[in-house]
Amino acid sequence: MQITRLFALLLMVLEWTCPGLSSPLRPICDLRVLDHYIKEAWDAEAAMRACKDDYCIARNFTVPLTRVDFDVWDAMDIEEQAQEVQSGLHVLNEAISSLQAFNQTDLIQSHIDASIRNIVSIRQVLRSLSIPEYVPSTSGGEDQETQKVSSISELFQVHINFLRGKVRLLLGNAPVCHQGVS
Amino acid sequence: MRKMRSDRLQFVFMLCLAFVTAGGKSFERKVAQLLQDKTEDPKCFVEGKKDLTCFWEVEKERNLHDRYTFMYSYENEKKMACVVSSLSLRASNKTVLFCKLPQELFFTPLNVQVFRDGQILYNRIFNVENVLLLDPPSNLTVMSSGKEGQLNVSWLPPPLKHMDDSMIYEVRYAVEGSHMGKVEKIKASTTLVLRGLQSDTRYEVWVRVKLDGVAYDGYWSSWTDPVFAVTAPTDMDPLIVLLVLFIGLILCLLSLTVILSHHKFLLKKLWPDIPTPEHKFPGLFTVYKGDFKEWMSQNNGSMWGRSVHVYTEELPSPVEVLSEVSLTNYSTSPREGRKPAEKEEGSERADSGLMGGWREPPHAQWLMEQLRALQENPESFSQSTLLQSHDTYVALNQNSQRVQGDTEQKVDDVFEETLPLQTLFTTAGTSSLSASHSDLGSLPQSSGSGRLSSQSSFEYPNHTWPPKGPGYAYMAVADSGVSMDYSPMSSSSIAELGKLGIYTNEYKNEIFGHKWPFSCQHIESGY
Repeated sequence: MQITRLFALLLMVLEWTCPGLSSPLRPICDLRVLDHYIKEAWDAEAAMRACKDDYCIARNFTVPLTRVDFDVWDAMDIEEQAQEVQSGLHVLNEAISSLQAFNQTDLIQSHIDASIRNIVSIRQVLRSLSIPEYVPSTSGGEDQETQKVSSISELFQVHINFLRGKVRLLLGNAPVCHQGVS
Repeated sequence: MRKMRSDRLQFVFMLCLAFVTAGGKSFERKVAQLLQDKTEDPKCFVEGKKDLTCFWEVEKERNLHDRYTFMYSYENEKKMACVVSSLSLRASNKTVLFCKLPQELFFTPLNVQVFRDGQILYNRIFNVENVLLLDPPSNLTVMSSGKEGQLNVSWLPPPLKHMDDSMIYEVRYAVEGSHMGKVEKIKASTTLVLRGLQSDTRYEVWVRVKLDGVAYDGYWSSWTDPVFAVTAPTDMDPLIVLLVLFIGLILCLLSLTVILSHHKFLLKKLWPDIPTPEHKFPGLFTVYKGDFKEWMSQNNGSMWGRSVHVYTEELPSPVEVLSEVSLTNYSTSPREGRKPAEKEEGSERADSGLMGGWREPPHAQWLMEQLRALQENPESFSQSTLLQSHDTYVALNQNSQRVQGDTEQKVDDVFEETLPLQTLFTTAGTSSLSASHSDLGSLPQSSGSGRLSSQSSFEYPNHTWPPKGPGYAYMAVADSGVSMDYSPMSSSSIAELGKLGIYTNEYKNEIFGHKWPFSCQHIESGY
């Protein structure tokens, strides 16, 4: 009996202190949240555009494609859109994170850190909308939805374009946010 | 059946034409609007998710299409050519070449280039989602909300999926006919309540739209056609009306209370009593029923004197008459030779004589003798009297030094003082009298407190002395405003000659008094 009671108490405590991975997140349908991240990405892009140091140029990065053809996009289903967005965020995150290994100015470092944090937050938002997580491609090789850039300035241009485009379109089109609206 | 088909085709054709025409007008309007913008060439805009157009201004010339080439390319893609067309803007009389790109890709850089005769003219890189130029909002509706100074405005956004939450609007409103308007900005909403408007006034309202610049960006659309609405008239809140009436009533009651409590004071201020001189004439109206003669007789001179003091403009200055009248022969006065021009000189002596004092008034008998002498020899008498009269005249002067000096002079002066009485009594010596009067008029008065006010009448030496009776021995004296205190003897002699009211110490010349200002000088004679 005592063991049973102890076990029950332990379960209760564990459930209460659980990080909440199993509990569903409240859906974040307000696009102003994403707009906040987009504004920070604008600031980073402007700072990187002004960077003329050797550090800022002559670098190769693999970045996702950002172009959107509305006719084509509207024809895609939500899973395809989600896969495109999640894979793009993954690639972007890797490219920006690779910059942390090098020495840079405090200003650039702050923008890099903010961009990485924002990508994590956007993933949380997508999770709240029940958007499927990123699944790495099993076919191998490079993803067709990627491209190469040769400077940090171009990297952050891709970053802002990706957030304003595909990510925002996906969030605005999330089925969870349109439930109850005919 | 064939006829029906042809009719349908015609209808569709007309409809398409109408759309094209309308669209063409809209396109031309957008081109004209953006042409004034300071964007770099070529100027590009996208009307929605499609129809990306780039244009640039050119000079009118032949074979424009042959000279210019338009090329575009998206990132990491090959260049493509676009068909160039021309457009003449009627409003501004300008020509533009434009190209409608067949494919629009958003959120990726686009590179456009314009070549003229094989040489690159313009080169521009931009993102298509940053050059959105939308149509103005539709279905603008303005209605009165029923409340004072308010209007409800609503409209429909351009039908663009994915972009409607990124739109911002500007609502402009103004009184109809007025050029002064206000602008309200609103974001992510298609309704607005205008407040603070004038009641019962007709307003014009316009709306335009633009992307907010976060995810999408572009230019302000053109304004919609104005919509008119009238605000509600002023509506008096019944509570306010009641409060105003209640406060007004309280104020009325308060003012009434104040007025009633101080009605006497207010009446006195607003409707003062007519002042009456009753207090100056005690008993005149109560006892004597307004009979002034009766009242005067009862009160004799005391009241009168008092009242005279009221009208006195100058303080009477006491003058001591020191000269004595000596009854000597004056006809051969050494002053015969004196001319009228020496009046002033004589007047001084007369003044001195006057200051000597009037010790002895002329005897009645002496007066009679003088009169007889005057009648016998009027010319000489008049001459002498002319010369002497002004000397002995009662001209008040503070020059007492001379008086103390010469007793003879005093005697003469005193004697001469009697002359005016003679001359006054005679009607023939009018010229002398008048001369003496003029002299008298020129004589300065003592202490300067009383000027001889008889100057005006003394300006005519040749005029006849206006005889008002021989008893007016005081006349000349009184003209100067001098009041003389005569002894009973002199007064009696005068009384024999004529009637005159003799008043001690103060006298008012009744002959001239009504003309001249009454200036009275109090002379105390020391007999």
